[in-house]
Amino acid sequence: MGILNIGTRALQANQVALQTAGNNIANVNTPGYSRQSVVLQAVEGQFTGGGYIGKGVDVVTIQRNFSDFLTRQSTLATSVQSSDAARSDKLNQLQNIFPGGTSGLGAAISDMLNSFSDVASAPTDLTARTVALTRIDETAARMRSASQALDDLQHGVDQELRQKVSAINTLAQGIADVNNQIAKAKGSGQPPNDLLDRRDQLVRELNQYVQTTSIAADDGSVGIFLAGSQPLVLGTAVSPVTVVADEFGDPLKNKLAMSRNGQTVVMDENALGGGEVAGLLRFQNTDLVEGRNLLGRLTVAVSTAMNDQHHLGLDLDGNFGGDLFTPTTFSSQNIRKPVPPATLNSGTGDIGISITDVSQFSASDYEINFNSATSGTITRRSDGKVFAFPQTPAPVSGALANVDGLDITLSGTPNVGDHFLIKPFSTSASNIDSVFATPRNLAVASPIAGLMGSSNQGSLKQVSINVRTVPVSLATPAVFTFTGANTYTRSDELPIANATAYTFTPGQPIEAELPNNYPTLPYTYNQPLTGWTFTLQGSPKAGDSFTVIDIKDPAYSLDYKLSAGNATAMTGLRDATLFDGAALTDGYANLISQVGIRTQSAAYSAQVSSSIASNLEKDRTGVSGVNLDEEAAKLLQYQQAYQASAKMIQIAQNIFDTLIQGLGH
Amino acid sequence: MSASNLARLGSANTYDLAIRNLSTRQSTLSNLQENLTSGKRVVRASDDPTGAAQAERSMTRIARIAADQRALETQRSTITMGESTLGEVTNALQQFRELTVSAGNGGYTAAERTTIANQLQGLREQVLALANRKDTNGLPLFSGLGSATTPFSGPNPPPADYSFLGLPGQSTASEVSIPGTLDGDSAFMLQTKRDGVYNVTMSSIPAGRTLQTTPMSVTNPSLVNGSSYAVAFTGVVSAAGTTTVTYSVTESPSGTVQSPLTAAFPDNLPATFNITQMPGLSLTVNGLPAVGDTLQVDPSPSSFSVLDDAIRDIGTASNANAASQAVAQALNNIDIVMARISAVRGQAGDLMNRADSITSTQESRGIQLEADRSRAEDLDMVKGISDFQNQQTGYQVALQTYAQVQKLSLFNFLG
Repeated sequence: MGILNIGTRALQANQVALQTAGNNIANVNTPGYSRQSVVLQAVEGQFTGGGYIGKGVDVVTIQRNFSDFLTRQSTLATSVQSSDAARSDKLNQLQNIFPGGTSGLGAAISDMLNSFSDVASAPTDLTARTVALTRIDETAARMRSASQALDDLQHGVDQELRQKVSAINTLAQGIADVNNQIAKAKGSGQPPNDLLDRRDQLVRELNQYVQTTSIAADDGSVGIFLAGSQPLVLGTAVSPVTVVADEFGDPLKNKLAMSRNGQTVVMDENALGGGEVAGLLRFQNTDLVEGRNLLGRLTVAVSTAMNDQHHLGLDLDGNFGGDLFTPTTFSSQNIRKPVPPATLNSGTGDIGISITDVSQFSASDYEINFNSATSGTITRRSDGKVFAFPQTPAPVSGALANVDGLDITLSGTPNVGDHFLIKPFSTSASNIDSVFATPRNLAVASPIAGLMGSSNQGSLKQVSINVRTVPVSLATPAVFTFTGANTYTRSDELPIANATAYTFTPGQPIEAELPNNYPTLPYTYNQPLTGWTFTLQGSPKAGDSFTVIDIKDPAYSLDYKLSAGNATAMTGLRDATLFDGAALTDGYANLISQVGIRTQSAAYSAQVSSSIASNLEKDRTGVSGVNLDEEAAKLLQYQQAYQASAKMIQIAQNIFDTLIQGLGH
Repeated sequence: MSASNLARLGSANTYDLAIRNLSTRQSTLSNLQENLTSGKRVVRASDDPTGAAQAERSMTRIARIAADQRALETQRSTITMGESTLGEVTNALQQFRELTVSAGNGGYTAAERTTIANQLQGLREQVLALANRKDTNGLPLFSGLGSATTPFSGPNPPPADYSFLGLPGQSTASEVSIPGTLDGDSAFMLQTKRDGVYNVTMSSIPAGRTLQTTPMSVTNPSLVNGSSYAVAFTGVVSAAGTTTVTYSVTESPSGTVQSPLTAAFPDNLPATFNITQMPGLSLTVNGLPAVGDTLQVDPSPSSFSVLDDAIRDIGTASNANAASQAVAQALNNIDIVMARISAVRGQAGDLMNRADSITSTQESRGIQLEADRSRAEDLDMVKGISDFQNQQTGYQVALQTYAQVQKLSLFNFLG
């Protein structure tokens, strides 16, 4: 009866094989499904005198085709791809906030400064003044709307992060559950293929959000670790992750934290590796911060420079100009201390900041660390440059330190280890507004003027005359009398007027005499500039003179309303070097190129990692994926074997029948 | 039966890959279309950050040139207006001069001269109005380095009968602009040291006697101090073929008196002698003075004073001698005034030339910048279209092969 047995076994085995092929076909599109195949084995033969006689075939197991290595590689690559794609996607949105061309912020700033050229052409024309005011308003509005768009983006990223983190926790719980089931199924002696597939798929999905490391345990469960070593899943236990603020409680930054046994561990986004959450955190904590700082610096620099210049002019009523833009103020939003759960500052120190020189600004946050009550370091976060303080020479203003055009002042006594975060530009653009409505109050006139001696014989001409600080102390006019083609004396010389013969170089600025008690006067310490300056060109003859007067000096009965000196100076701000040495009007071009470069490089890395991920996935499915042609061939193969087995049984039947018939005779 | 079969493909993955490739091609195609329809190579800064920044910079510079040019046009029209105003002033002065010449006609009566003086008065008012003329924006044309709304005020009480309420001087032209005003002080105000304009009048000379002076000549400008002088003749003695005139010179406002002073000339020649006691000045007297005759020498502080003096002296001339003296003085002084005006007019012409050259420089810079901008961000249409067609063909091929390959399956042959 051996043949019947063999036939039956073969029939069963091939049926299993057909079923497995069918199962493969059925799951051809199931994500995470690993192709299965039947492992057949010949049943050990029966020993006879004539040798071993085969006893047929048996199904040993249903094998799951997969490569641990390729699965791991593909999962990792997908994780990196998700991170790069998420960051690139958000950077695209960020760059759309800063468009170039006529609708951009740069055009608004340039139009605003150019409108002062029309005011300079017609200082008494209220229309030109109104246009200038409208342009100022428009610039402020564009700055605000860019800032609003940044806030919206920030808000969206924040929401997205929280959703993704909750997905991480759900997936982690799923993995823990599958771990449990696998451990239970382990006792059966056969691998629970579908559970294993499900767990691998869950891990792959988890890696889309955050990169993990898997370590298999003896009981068949897998431990999932974040940031290299933080256990997200251990066997069946899950440590949930949450989104938390950074140690300074900065609402513009997020960190991923894990709570385990009541302890919260904050993970650095750079240690997270791949995954959308890591990509979003990197975008939020680096790219968006830079975008915000660039816009903030542009806002503070432009508005402060405009305000400062405007303060130096006279309006139609003869008063000095007020603010054109909301003046920049710094609050606790800009100066932050550690908040719980981080270690708090133990000292009583408080930090204040003020602007000293807008042209020195660097678009960055700063971190101050004290290593004694009066000394420590200031780290510029954008490039990691460290400034030690106390500085030599110390800031004349008495500030603790001066870094990148900002005075940093200290009140109270900090302890060793206390630290602060300074974000000078993070909020400025959202608060900016024009604070001006009446064209009469636009300070267009210069408070000083120059005159040539009316009997001048030489060819002197005035190039420019500018005031730097107001009010101007010109109670008596300052007379510059030329004693030859290249020498002059001055009536404002201290202590004795006209005592020294100064050298005259045409085209070189001549400065107001520095007061004897300089620098205790309130000059900004790093701008040792005088109250006014003028430049003459041409060659003077002995006896020629140039006089600097207060434009409202009654002795000259001038109409200051006709002066456009300050409007010209405002126009001159176009060339003020403000942004790392670039002109004010070029500041926005630098901004868009900086954001553009970031976006471009993020897009490149997304492309590269996407192609790597796609190749690895191709390799992985080369092993684990179902190939329909292959399964069709297998169907044929096993079908034929099945038919042959059935034939075998039929032959056994025939043999039996023959035997029975023989017996009947 | 494990891994390492390089030829094996997962069916689901081949679909995924095919779809991914198709969508990549589609998005490339759509980006190219965006480039073509916007005409720009750089639609977003990330397409070419350097190009985007360059285009942005060029754009602000183009806007700036436009603003500078607009300002320059205003300045140019102001200077043009100033120049033509000075032309009108010259015409008025020319007319004034002609009328003055006609007033010298010895046959005219005092009444006729008064009529002429009235006509002259109208011209003087016209000149003052022209000097105070404003441009289209209400700014005085001749405000120098800054002035009152009406820069020339007068007539005021002597000696400074007209004053320039402003700051003398001229600002320079820059690379992109020219000054928007002309120096009114230089155009209309006179300096005794520089111009030496004096008006010499004399006491009434009875009919039948002729006493004239030449216009004042400056012999040494550095000594000229701008004072007025009164010359009084105290004696005329003729002896031994020589006539000796005794006179005194009183300087005002200092009050210094030089006396007695004498001048001599031969009897047989027409009476003429020089008075040189006024520092840096020399005055030639023609005719024989009589005791009691006086000469009054006054500096003219402005062009308007010259005209006023002429009007007064012609209008009040009681006889031909006085009229002739007034006419001679006026003609000389008007010529000096016209020379000053034409000097400033020349400066205006220079400024207009400068404006022309700035305009042409700015225009070529604008073209250059526009080319820079275009190079940085505009799409080469030929290249764009050819790229687009390339991609389109590629996309078509991908679609066709995808459809054909996916149709192949072993299952089609089973059964």
